[in-house]
Amino acid sequence: MKSTIKTKTLVLAVIASLVTLTMTGSAANAIGTLKQDALTGTSATVDTAATDAAIRKLVNGRTIKLGFAPPILSEAYTIAQQGAWNQMKDYETRYGVKWVWTEEAPLNNAHSGVETTGFIQNYVAKKYDAVFVCSAAPATVMQQLYKQGSAKGVEFYQFNSTEQLNQKSQATDATAGLSSVSNISYDNRWQSGALAAQYIADELKGKGEIIMILGPAGSDWTKLREQGFRAVVKKYPGLKIVGAADGGYVRDKGLTAAADLLTKYPKINAIYGENEDMALGASAAIDAARLKHWDGKSGIITIGADGLVSGMDEIRKGNLTATVNVGYADMGRTMIRTMFAHKVLGMDVAKFIRVPTVIVDKTNVDIFQSQIKAELATKVKY
Amino acid sequence: MKFKNFFFRSVSITGIPIFGLLIFIVALFQFIVPIFNATVGDYITNLVPVLLLTVGAAIVIIGGSIDLSIGTVCGLSAGITMWTLASGLPTALSILLGIATGAFFGLLNGFIITKFGINDFIATLATLNISGGLLIVLSQATDLYGAESEFFTSLVYGSFFGIPTSFFIAGAIILLMQFLLLKTILGRRIFAMGNSGAAANVAGINVRNVKLATFVLSGTLAGCAGVLLAARLGGVQAFLGLGYEFTAIAGAVVGGVSLAGGRGSAAAALAGGLFIGTLAQGLQLIGVEPIFFGIVSGLALIIGVIFDQKIQDIGQLRSRFDSRVLAQPPRKEGDHG
Amino acid sequence: MKKFLSDPILGVIILLLLVGGVASFTVDVFFTLQNFTNFLSGSYFVMLLAMGMTVVLISGGIDLSIGAVMALCAGIVAKLALQGMSVPLVIVCALAVGAFVGCLNGLLVTVVGLPDFIATLAMSAFATGILFIWTKGTPIVGYMDETYKQIGGLAPIYRGVTVPMVTAIVIAFALGAMLKKTKFGVHLFSVGSNRLATRQSGINVTKIRILAYVISGVCAALSGIIMAGRNTTVPPDLGGGYEVLAIAAALIGGASLMGGRGRILGAILGEVVLAMTINIINLLGVPSSYQKIFIGGILLLAVLVNQFVISLRTKILMRSTNKKS
Repeated sequence: MKSTIKTKTLVLAVIASLVTLTMTGSAANAIGTLKQDALTGTSATVDTAATDAAIRKLVNGRTIKLGFAPPILSEAYTIAQQGAWNQMKDYETRYGVKWVWTEEAPLNNAHSGVETTGFIQNYVAKKYDAVFVCSAAPATVMQQLYKQGSAKGVEFYQFNSTEQLNQKSQATDATAGLSSVSNISYDNRWQSGALAAQYIADELKGKGEIIMILGPAGSDWTKLREQGFRAVVKKYPGLKIVGAADGGYVRDKGLTAAADLLTKYPKINAIYGENEDMALGASAAIDAARLKHWDGKSGIITIGADGLVSGMDEIRKGNLTATVNVGYADMGRTMIRTMFAHKVLGMDVAKFIRVPTVIVDKTNVDIFQSQIKAELATKVKY
Repeated sequence: MKFKNFFFRSVSITGIPIFGLLIFIVALFQFIVPIFNATVGDYITNLVPVLLLTVGAAIVIIGGSIDLSIGTVCGLSAGITMWTLASGLPTALSILLGIATGAFFGLLNGFIITKFGINDFIATLATLNISGGLLIVLSQATDLYGAESEFFTSLVYGSFFGIPTSFFIAGAIILLMQFLLLKTILGRRIFAMGNSGAAANVAGINVRNVKLATFVLSGTLAGCAGVLLAARLGGVQAFLGLGYEFTAIAGAVVGGVSLAGGRGSAAAALAGGLFIGTLAQGLQLIGVEPIFFGIVSGLALIIGVIFDQKIQDIGQLRSRFDSRVLAQPPRKEGDHG
Repeated sequence: MKKFLSDPILGVIILLLLVGGVASFTVDVFFTLQNFTNFLSGSYFVMLLAMGMTVVLISGGIDLSIGAVMALCAGIVAKLALQGMSVPLVIVCALAVGAFVGCLNGLLVTVVGLPDFIATLAMSAFATGILFIWTKGTPIVGYMDETYKQIGGLAPIYRGVTVPMVTAIVIAFALGAMLKKTKFGVHLFSVGSNRLATRQSGINVTKIRILAYVISGVCAALSGIIMAGRNTTVPPDLGGGYEVLAIAAALIGGASLMGGRGRILGAILGEVVLAMTINIINLLGVPSSYQKIFIGGILLLAVLVNQFVISLRTKILMRSTNKKS
């Protein structure tokens, strides 16, 4: 009798611990995946020595020249670049790849995109292996460039771009009419704008008034985020967007825009800034108007989108309620992994790769801020 | 003989020094980065619209004014061209409409400035905002790409004897402007007006009309630049052209066009524009980090202008002009009619 | 009455009343103390830029580096504050840098003889470049505390009074008095109107021109210090486009690109017009795409009103002189 109970308890204990282990293990994996090499898996479980050696033999110490063409030099692209560098360092250590990395970006006038044309032509002239591009120029213009460059053997990968606007169907054409090998981004509508609106809706329990601080008119990112945001707001009859103003994607203009709107609508419940800088400007406007920040029950919600270290600090302090972390570091790493898989290993890669995005607020800021900080702390540079 | 005179006169007004400097840096870049000559076709083709803008800017500056709207007007013209082309209008008509947009804004600028006597900086700043705003509205309302026209693309992508078509087109336009400035009565009047509006008035020149003409010319050139830009890009988006005006004005001044008015030429503008563009291209190829770009280009700008001025000092050209300028009676706001 | 009519800033005042009046009728919240303090709070640092620009314009020059110098000084403030330097010392350093750059501008324009457009444009490229190198593309953060919040105008020092407000008022009085009452001011105007004649009359034109640029540099530094507080971070592309605003404000206020003319009060009112325009756009809810057209329209209106006033004034003055004779 006693032994049966003992065995049963033992079995139960084993099952319980197995379940717990699996759950924590998969949770760790879910976050760890962002750092793992998708090709071979770098967890402690799998011994990659043989694969590494084989790939090392294939690489044969070759030098790969990469061009980086963001639309402007800013924190977001610095994070993406660092993510890329960290992944490159991994590959250099494991496979003996030698890297050459060049960055060219216009110093101002980010939204014109015409200078990027010149940069890309120079990368092609210098016979680089692959170029990573994020540009505000019209899609047709860029794809034309990619087509010409591809004919000369250069591979093009777009990142953080808005091809959702012009994406054709892959129903009959696998390339969807694009000459870029792959497009690593996130969907500005449903993975950014819509998420922000959903967060507001959840926090306000479906009722309240919102003002929007938009990016510059004519920017594709602005268009898409607004589209996603409005689509979700529509689903809640108690939620209303009462005003919108142009914040130009910079903090100062966002402050002015938010301050003016707050004068007109002092009793709003939420401010959506299409990027973090503007949302932070709006936060400062709330302080200046001596209104209250959201504390879970009352006050004004401020929510932005980007996922920068400074933004997350403000979330901790309670000045910013939340932001959409769009995963710049992840994009950087994925860019390199995709290029390596395609160019070196000859694998067929997905045309559209969407990185995971997430709403970051006080409840999970520890996870995501530490992740970005860890990426930036590696001191790897090319 | 006549051509030789014309050539030396046109380059001697200003331009020789910068052309010389240009050749020097081209040789330097070619030495440092051997693939430089392979990229020449590409980067100059990209530069062509800005070069036309530089010449337009020069014409207005020689006349003693300034035109800040050339960048956005160029962008708007490109947009109008793309729009009409994508809507199915015949290519020739689209091109004409694009150029006409530029001419229209030139007329508008000139009219506001001469008829109402308004300060040219603010007036053209206002039209900059208006034309820029119109382009934004246009780009939101419709797709500015997707035009299928062989002839249109060949304007930029075609070539005669290995030289891109756009070179010929731009070259012809610039040559025409040079001729206009140096060989026609209108040109002489523009220089006179730039030297002293009051003196020109006294001499019987209708300063108002001449000034209007300079803005119309500048606007039309911006329109042409817009057409070529549209052909090059194949698509136009909202902020096209913004910022080009500063590059254009800087190019003109580096080439030797004086902001005080009355000195310079289309050739000078061309030299200056090519200098700045080539400098940018060379630095890029060498791999100067974008961070250092600003500092290096600032330095180069200064060196280029100093060089130009020193040469003119040697040729006694500058002091002669400057003393003439300085000896004028004090200029007042309404001076230029 | 005659004196009032011949004052060049009459145009700006009329414009202000015009636009303000229309705005008050169309948007009910416009004519409230809160709204005024709001949009003014964002304009003080531009006023400082416009005032410095006016001084340079009067002397016959132009300073295109004012925006970049503002950003550079903001960066200096941020960097030094992060290192723990005391606030007064930080301010002194920033002002010193502004004065230094102004001095460089002045030297380039006088001794080296460069056209002021190119000299200050190049300086602007230098200043931006230096800021980019420092920031390495990422904004400088983490230097903010209560003091800098007050400096930036985000927190008042006493009831409704903020540091930017006080700074703008003090500098306005100082520069205004300098222009009207000191010999230096008189010389500035004469250098701007007729450089050769002024030089021939024995005045040290070079020194005066350099000093004008130093003043503009210091104004840019003051503006940068405020900006560092107001923006709470210093991104590398801070302050883009402000030099054009400063010139526009100065010109609306009566300055001339030819030199020899300008009023500090005019520059301030000019900037108020510009800030008011943005404020009205936001309050009216003008769709983003139409904003630029709106701004262009207001600019045109500004100069048209100015011109109208000038011609009206000439007519009235001529009529009174005719009457006398």
